[in-house]
Amino acid sequence: MTLLKTHLYDEHVKLNAKIVPFAGWDMPVQYTSVKDEVLAIRNNVGVFDVSHMGEFFVEGKDAEQFVDYLVTNDIIGAPTGKAIYSPLCRDNGTVIDDLIVYKLAPGRVLICVNASNIDKDFLWIKSQLHGFDCTLKNKSDEYSLLALQGPKSYQILKPLLKELPDLEYYSVFETQFEGAPVIIARTGYTGEDGFEVFGDHACIKHLWQIFMNNGVVPCGLAARDVLRLEVCYPLYGHELNDELNPYDAGLGWTVKGQKPRFIGKAALADKKAHYKLFKLTLDRGIPREGYQVLNGKNEVIGIITSGSMSVVTNKGIAFARIQIDKVPVDEVFLVDIRQKPYAAQLVKKPFVTGGHK
Amino acid sequence: MSTNIPANLKYTKEHEWVLVEGETISVGITDFAQSALGDIVFLEVPQIGVELKEGSTFGVVESIKSVSDLYTPVSGEVTGRNTDIESSPEKINQDAYGAWLIKVKIKNASDLNKLLTAQQYQEFCNTSH
Repeated sequence: MTLLKTHLYDEHVKLNAKIVPFAGWDMPVQYTSVKDEVLAIRNNVGVFDVSHMGEFFVEGKDAEQFVDYLVTNDIIGAPTGKAIYSPLCRDNGTVIDDLIVYKLAPGRVLICVNASNIDKDFLWIKSQLHGFDCTLKNKSDEYSLLALQGPKSYQILKPLLKELPDLEYYSVFETQFEGAPVIIARTGYTGEDGFEVFGDHACIKHLWQIFMNNGVVPCGLAARDVLRLEVCYPLYGHELNDELNPYDAGLGWTVKGQKPRFIGKAALADKKAHYKLFKLTLDRGIPREGYQVLNGKNEVIGIITSGSMSVVTNKGIAFARIQIDKVPVDEVFLVDIRQKPYAAQLVKKPFVTGGHK
Repeated sequence: MSTNIPANLKYTKEHEWVLVEGETISVGITDFAQSALGDIVFLEVPQIGVELKEGSTFGVVESIKSVSDLYTPVSGEVTGRNTDIESSPEKINQDAYGAWLIKVKIKNASDLNKLLTAQQYQEFCNTSH
């Protein structure tokens, strides 16, 4: 299979990025150092090329109603201009994908989905359209997407755009960059303040070049994964998959049972979880995806779904998916690293507090 | 990629370097390896006295995002481990050839013949990456 390349591929090569296959794309995983890239975003400003992600547009009289029916979170109740994170579920409650819904204007909604799930999501969403007065278009090939992240994002981005109000976190705004229409959202999945910029390929490429000339640090997918794990955001294919429901991944807060109807409502009504997702930190040893999690009696109770060294805390950090009937009441967790049990501490709050608004 | 390959050392195809000092060797990872790994954050090596077999794994080195096995270049008993590097593994990134990881007392001198010279290792890096 030929790997797809974003329209910024040549820019990444020029910057000597290490390129790896990811979700069918050749993507930059790292430019200089994962550590430096993470710190740039926590303390200063960095940018990711996330053009591999998918953009669907729902337009027409019933656009909001349709998307509200599709996803578990509340779309109709949110004002125009808001961005809403939500799982997309099947009738049986299992998660097809997690996505962000952007309410651009009345009757105009953008859905941004994971790159690996574009085809699966589009087929599913299309199959649900009957009875709604709106259209669905997959414009993933027409849009490039940058995520400018870090405390200095606003001061870097504002002078480049025709207009940029001090948007609330998780809100969206349409404006222009060099005369071309762009969609700006105060989102980005790192926990820091920042913006995502959707636009046509030529304008996003030029915006990237301006960012580089202004000292914005190019950041790869490795840094992105550490950043999202430090602030405990789930990632599809790791904390979420086709077999799990939102409650299995700690996403019960995104299921709005009071909505009159949505796909999966009946199946999710009992809020039944088969697993519980825990946050673990290790003083010694680095937990990795797939490692087994043990209780104090060395019995296997679950698995690490994402693990890394935290750049900020300098400790091992992980999400652990534990079978609901094996959650240890004494809260003793061990991680099996190369056949040796390492003590892990359970934490309730995210490992790192991001600086977003 | 870096081409920092000192002529006085021997090498393995798994990117370890070997310094032969009489009946003992010091083992580390090459500049090529540290550069490919990125920020090194964790090192695990065996206790002194452990018998290692040539070609088997003797430990791991971990960067933020990856885990890599370390391979035994020459059979023998571990006679030293670098606790300074274990507590500050980022020193491997700063000076790969200054950061020995373990010392091994050579069991079979013939094992040394299997190691690559600097020139052979350079050619190996050029052709395999």
